[in-house]
Amino acid sequence: MNDSAAPLLEAVGLSKNFTIGGRLSPGGLKTVRAVDGVSLQVWPGETVGLVGESGCGKSTLGRCLVRLYDITSGELRFKGEDISRYGTRQLRPIREEMQMVFQDPYASLNPRRRVGDLIAEPLRVHGRRTQAEITARVRELMGLVGLSPDQLERFPHEFSGGQRQRIGIARALALEPHLIVADEPVSALDVSIQAQIVNLLADLQDRLGLTYVIIAHDLSVIRQVSDRTAVMYLGSIVELGQTEEVYRAPAHPYTQALISAVPVPDVDRVRSRIVLTGDVPSPINPPAGCRFHPRCRFAQDRCRTERPALRPLGDGRQVACHFPLTAAPAPARHGNGVAQA
Amino acid sequence: MLQVRNLKVSFRTEHGPVRAVDDVSFDVNEREIVGVVGESGSGKTISLLSVMGLINDPNAVIEGSIVYKGRELLGLPQRELRHVRGKEIAMIFQDPMTSLTPVYTIGWQIAEQVLTHNAVSKRAARQRAIELLTAVGIPSPESAVDRYPHQLSGGMRQRAVIAMALSCNPSLLIADEPTTALDVTVQAQILELIQKLRRDFGSAVVLITHDMGVVAEVADRVQVMYAGRIVERGSKRDLFKNPRHPYTWGLLDSIPPLDGPRPHRLKSIRGMPPSLLALPKGCAFGPRCRYQFDKCGEQPALAGSDGHDTACFLSPEARAAAWSQRLLGTKAAS
Repeated sequence: MNDSAAPLLEAVGLSKNFTIGGRLSPGGLKTVRAVDGVSLQVWPGETVGLVGESGCGKSTLGRCLVRLYDITSGELRFKGEDISRYGTRQLRPIREEMQMVFQDPYASLNPRRRVGDLIAEPLRVHGRRTQAEITARVRELMGLVGLSPDQLERFPHEFSGGQRQRIGIARALALEPHLIVADEPVSALDVSIQAQIVNLLADLQDRLGLTYVIIAHDLSVIRQVSDRTAVMYLGSIVELGQTEEVYRAPAHPYTQALISAVPVPDVDRVRSRIVLTGDVPSPINPPAGCRFHPRCRFAQDRCRTERPALRPLGDGRQVACHFPLTAAPAPARHGNGVAQA
Repeated sequence: MLQVRNLKVSFRTEHGPVRAVDDVSFDVNEREIVGVVGESGSGKTISLLSVMGLINDPNAVIEGSIVYKGRELLGLPQRELRHVRGKEIAMIFQDPMTSLTPVYTIGWQIAEQVLTHNAVSKRAARQRAIELLTAVGIPSPESAVDRYPHQLSGGMRQRAVIAMALSCNPSLLIADEPTTALDVTVQAQILELIQKLRRDFGSAVVLITHDMGVVAEVADRVQVMYAGRIVERGSKRDLFKNPRHPYTWGLLDSIPPLDGPRPHRLKSIRGMPPSLLALPKGCAFGPRCRYQFDKCGEQPALAGSDGHDTACFLSPEARAAAWSQRLLGTKAAS
């Protein structure tokens, strides 16, 4: 898919810092490197999944990608245009082409406005349409996401969680964007409803040729929806590659542990689960060297001092590890920290 | 050890009575981990809150019988219930901050629990708190006892709450979505801990969750709830290898696989869970069920053999045919 075309969106060494505390707080001002030098290309028509644990910076990266956040350093190119320093006015035409879907369908819709108005809002903000055109488009959008157009006059509280997420998706689609960044689009929903929304996102991509960046902590959801998967840890991408390959043979020890930790609804599979000790360290004070080394089973001296860069492994796979795991499953790696599930 | 019979919980609301739990009966045996699965509103939490006597809503009407070690808990005065609760049966919740107060240290809160149920000195209670924090795997427990909840991460807070629940060696632990708010790597640690509880302390555990994966990993028996009723229950193996209720099929099919071929589309359950205010007549799953037929207008009873029960009118033959068709469908999709 990425032979001749140029990437739709490209981040080069993108970083986002937040400042926390104040001069009066005990530790003084501190900088959190929430996203730390991420380089990522998103090709037209594909779905990139961003996966990682809480605090890994996946949501911050998502918001940087649609420029909801200002970028501290690095470049962000959309259709070849560097938009990383654009101000509000310059961003306006670009916002029509990139939209975001949020996690919480309860919080992201104004409870006092009717659904028809909520979906029409982006159309009004970005002008140029008559009322009749807007109404027609709103009806069309509601049909597209599987809502009945006669629910137009209702308020968000009259809808279930899954339907509200459909409203959020309709809003994002209103301006016919090319790129949709969806931050945990299904994690607030019940399992049976999750599957409906996952299918809806796939259908919309087929019909409208959308490009997605989907952020989720649920590894099985990411596997289902994305062509390529980027695994994040403490603000950086530690592994990136074709989804099925990454899941089949993870190259980074963190990816391996993460996948092995997911409980699978299959009683026949006795899996050796790798239980990582400890928590994700604080991004305020990240460990030296490889940021994963304090929890890594294979850490060596080099990992404690030298930070591995994200480098190609061939086959489109990239990994940030000095000692990437080879494709063949390594049977001799049991013992320390490995528990039979 | 625990026998729940014909439990019915309803709430009086301005829109009329809402039956959250409808005629639920189940047992929990010693040293057993029972998984209770269902979506929001299925009554899984409410039924176990009733066991704990934690439904204080004046509009709640609870009927039936809850017998714990030969003693009827329903209707027991609060004072007597408090001896059971905490000491005999403990409960942990999804959000650890539900059970922690931000204004006292972790150690103080665990010691308080120990002091309430045991005649020991404050010093001994503190020592016990340190032991418990060690048992649940909190690093450097001697300093952790003096920390406040906000100084701990989510996973550590959940461990502290488990430590508190364990303080009196309860014989039954009710865990309501204990890992839902946690990351997978931390979830794996907490699930290990729950299994260790049974191993080391001999506790029975009721694990309430929406995650079939979690159940497959730790439970011995599973019961699936839908709209306030148990629709299927059985040993973990029976339930996952040979599920009998169309809702259980739907739940299992809704989960994207972690390996093997990816289906082009997930098989979702059509529609959405019914409102408890307007439950369909007969089988509550009927309107969403692909196999619905005229008989489903009546309420199916939970019945079966060999401890594998289901509440569905499908004949064994029809069920076997539907299930094998499903397996074929999965193969064809791949």
